[in-house]
Amino acid sequence: MSSDAAVTTQAFPSNGRVADDTDLVEWYYAQGFSDGFPVVPPTPDKVEAMLEALGGDPDYLECRVPPRWGGLTRQVLAVNMVMAGCLPSYAPVVRAAMLALTSQAFNLHGVQATTHMAAPLLVVNGPIRNAIGMNSGHNVFGSGNRANATIGRAIRMILLNAGGGWPGELDKSTLGHPGKYTYCIAENEEVGCIAPYHVDKGFEETDSTVFVMPAEPPHSVTNHVANDPEGILDSIVSAMSTIAHNNAVSSGHCAVVLGPEHARVMAKYEWKRHDIRHYLWYQAHNKFGDVAFQHRYGKVYNRSLPKWYSRRDGDRIPVVPTPDHIHLFCAGGEAGRFSAFIPGWGHMASPVLREINGKSPPGGGPQCVDGTCYL
Amino acid sequence: MPLDTPNSGIAVFDPRGVVEAEAIPIGRRHNTLAGLRLGVLSNRKWNGNKLLRATVKALEADTEFASVTFYEKESFSKNADPHLLGEIIADSDIVLTAIGD
Repeated sequence: MSSDAAVTTQAFPSNGRVADDTDLVEWYYAQGFSDGFPVVPPTPDKVEAMLEALGGDPDYLECRVPPRWGGLTRQVLAVNMVMAGCLPSYAPVVRAAMLALTSQAFNLHGVQATTHMAAPLLVVNGPIRNAIGMNSGHNVFGSGNRANATIGRAIRMILLNAGGGWPGELDKSTLGHPGKYTYCIAENEEVGCIAPYHVDKGFEETDSTVFVMPAEPPHSVTNHVANDPEGILDSIVSAMSTIAHNNAVSSGHCAVVLGPEHARVMAKYEWKRHDIRHYLWYQAHNKFGDVAFQHRYGKVYNRSLPKWYSRRDGDRIPVVPTPDHIHLFCAGGEAGRFSAFIPGWGHMASPVLREINGKSPPGGGPQCVDGTCYL
Repeated sequence: MPLDTPNSGIAVFDPRGVVEAEAIPIGRRHNTLAGLRLGVLSNRKWNGNKLLRATVKALEADTEFASVTFYEKESFSKNADPHLLGEIIADSDIVLTAIGD
């Protein structure tokens, strides 16, 4: 079906009602309100329960969603969450994620409209992960868990319905990626080898947070052989050091996900978060001549890269500007020596970390963790 | 499908949210390009720049502008700085921009 057909809508009934014998799944399809999968019909009871979880007040405007700029009232948020299959207990996570996504730093307008394949990646930390039954273990990026699947799907439904990010309309992505259906994981804090991401950024372990970053799909990193940090990380460095992903040409932020077996090797050698991130940053790079295609198509300067990079052809071009631009998580199942590199979109957006209920980190900012302090 | 009585049938919900927009009239059209101040706004994309410069070159072959001034957005994926837009508006009679990925 063409994208034009996908967004063709019938007139919404002025009285908000349809005939008793209406097939609601097909009706919502016909309205163009689906991500392609059948939606859960939002009955008044389900919407009311979701609204209650959001704090009531259906007309309260949480945010506006670019580039269409539809107003995300609690009612609209609740309707999309029900349609995505969410339980009311997921409401705080979806709301916090939408507030993070619509903060100025994230540049959701650009993420929605870009020709790149970026989709918002969500990573949830803290006690709420287990309280609502999120998966941080086996097949963490895959299918099989309601919370992961439907929280990410609710975000996509909102970006489509309120944000207008319909393929070929306001979403100009050339290829897209499967994370545009759902792209939501929880960090596996139980592995315990490195401090949880949100603690690294100054929150308490008892806080719950959501991290959002526009991202390409995960690139699997296989290393069944190395039994030391350098060997494992060199495989991740290899995945990072290509000229094809968007970090290579547009800088910005990226994410690395250590599988538990790899993370345990780091712990065995007492490598902390800052050791891992600094090693990856120090080793991963391209040569400017390669990024510039050896100037085969004209003299390339590349103003998307930081201006302080030296641009002689043999000069080293870091994959991201600093170690702090590498967002490190631990996730996945106990068996298997795999990790993942997740390229970001580029300098055009900044990841956002938000406490689920919106509170600031203790002390007003990041603290010292694993021997390293961050401003 | 609208029904005859307001409360019959099944309730449905609109998940799109209301858009509050204000119509802004477009600028007046010029009858000729000659003698106008041309502003050229680049979005910093490699192919957009190529398209833009080729278009300016083609225009200049037939038209003598009072001035041609090039401007650049900070980033191709972000809105132009309002101060930059103000500068372009103040110093240009017509503006040319291009998208080329």
